[in-house]
Amino acid sequence: MEKAIIELKHLKKYYGNTRGIEDVSLKIKKGEIYGFIGPNGAGKSTTIRTIMGLINKSSGNIYINGKELELDDIETKRNIGYLPSEMNLYSDMKVKQLFDYHESFYNKNCSKRKKQLVKLLKIDEEKKIEDLSLGNLKKVGIVLSLMHKPEILILDEATSGLDPIMQNIFHDILLEEKEKGTTILYSSHILSEVSSICDKVGFIKDGKIIKEDLIENIKKESYTYLKIKSNEIEKIKKELKLKIYKELDNEVIFINNLNPNELVNKLSKYNIEYLLIEEVPLEDLFINYYK
Amino acid sequence: MIKREFKVNFKNFIIWLSILLIMFLVVYLIYPYIITDNTMEEMDELMKVFPPEMLKTFNMDMTSISTAYGWFKTEGFMFILLIIGFYSSMLGGNILLKEENDKTIEYLSSLPIKRSKIITNKVLVSITYIIGIVLLFGIFNFISLSISGDLDQKQFILLSVTPLLIGLPLFAINLFISTFMHKTKKTVGIGLGLVFIFYLLNVLSELSTKVEFLKYFSIYTLADVRNVISKVEINPIMICISIVLTVIFIIGTYINYSKKELI
Repeated sequence: MEKAIIELKHLKKYYGNTRGIEDVSLKIKKGEIYGFIGPNGAGKSTTIRTIMGLINKSSGNIYINGKELELDDIETKRNIGYLPSEMNLYSDMKVKQLFDYHESFYNKNCSKRKKQLVKLLKIDEEKKIEDLSLGNLKKVGIVLSLMHKPEILILDEATSGLDPIMQNIFHDILLEEKEKGTTILYSSHILSEVSSICDKVGFIKDGKIIKEDLIENIKKESYTYLKIKSNEIEKIKKELKLKIYKELDNEVIFINNLNPNELVNKLSKYNIEYLLIEEVPLEDLFINYYK
Repeated sequence: MIKREFKVNFKNFIIWLSILLIMFLVVYLIYPYIITDNTMEEMDELMKVFPPEMLKTFNMDMTSISTAYGWFKTEGFMFILLIIGFYSSMLGGNILLKEENDKTIEYLSSLPIKRSKIITNKVLVSITYIIGIVLLFGIFNFISLSISGDLDQKQFILLSVTPLLIGLPLFAINLFISTFMHKTKKTVGIGLGLVFIFYLLNVLSELSTKVEFLKYFSIYTLADVRNVISKVEINPIMICISIVLTVIFIIGTYINYSKKELI
């Protein structure tokens, strides 16, 4: 079995009596992009901050490259790139100075990768941090998390503040990183945002992982919406015996899990004015997990 | 990182040093005009009105304020101790906590640097600045008072370094307290409050033998100015206590900060 690069075992964090996370276990293999999905307050940031050593776990274990992570493990941190949800950087510095400051902590020359990223993300290095917009701050954060060529990337709500064009560029960068073998933990509250690039998804609810699977399985598992308009709608409802999602006069949207042949057979007896079959958006699927 | 720390804290260093320099420069410039034979007589009459305990608190029972150096040893020294106390306290309360207050700690913690190294860098920068402010201000006073003559060099040098005996422990105490906080707003109040309380306890302890025990609760007791003026020496016990307190609170900072929840 392939070794996990990031492994969390029954991670728990309580702030006094308040729950941060209850039981988080997950494994991320080398070169995998893991979508860590959950609504606000589910425990995504707490999990990430515990991995980053900003807060102390109450119990459980964190393994990076098979080695249990200890507080202040700087050798492991050298190989991690971290992008927090909110970028709070030294406002008195120029972007260029911050990049140089960042580089001074790593025993390697980061200038080539930095230049590539600065060009891709169109960053003005002469600007002061305090003068940057939210989106530009995020872009600086992306460079900081990647310029030292980390083997592990931890991203918390990475695209908040980025415009759609920059989001696409950022996702292309992540796919390139994946090709190079970088392991990525990508937290988001928007499933559709990460579904295009993730290999695996874990859903967190009330501090617990409630479902974890490959993204292709999650997509397969999904059902379709079946929209039918007919003057025989009552008869059709009885015939199909499907769960109803929405109903309006002679028009009904069913949650359909019948196979196409079965569906065509059953519907052939009726006079149908309008029929539409469409895939359930991942977002609706996501909401289902949290009902 | 240490270079950045020096740069970030330089502005405050200059502000506090300027406060001291401007205040004392003004006094040195106008002092010869205030102190004339006539005003001295009036001053002597006024001094007789004050109870001896009161004069003792400003060291005025030991030295005359008829010269600028005399003023430096009495009222002037009170200002020096208070301002160095404020500066050291502010530095201790802010230097580490500022990263949390400004939320830059999340970025700093993602870098490959141990928490202990962060403390070491910040402590080294702070101690350098505290020694720096005392040293530069000492040089300024030496030049200014030499011009006016009447300067006991050994006594002056010992007096000039005495503020370090309160500055370093006050820095360490405030640094330690800051490891229990998350916002600098509180540490500013605590820092200023501590300086006032310690100073007040010291003043009260000199007013009456009945409350003399209060001196054991004040950092300002370590700046034993009366001993420096009268015996021209710094009590080695005070030096030891100052160093021990500084070291204990800095060690406490390392221990507490290593376990601290930073967000």
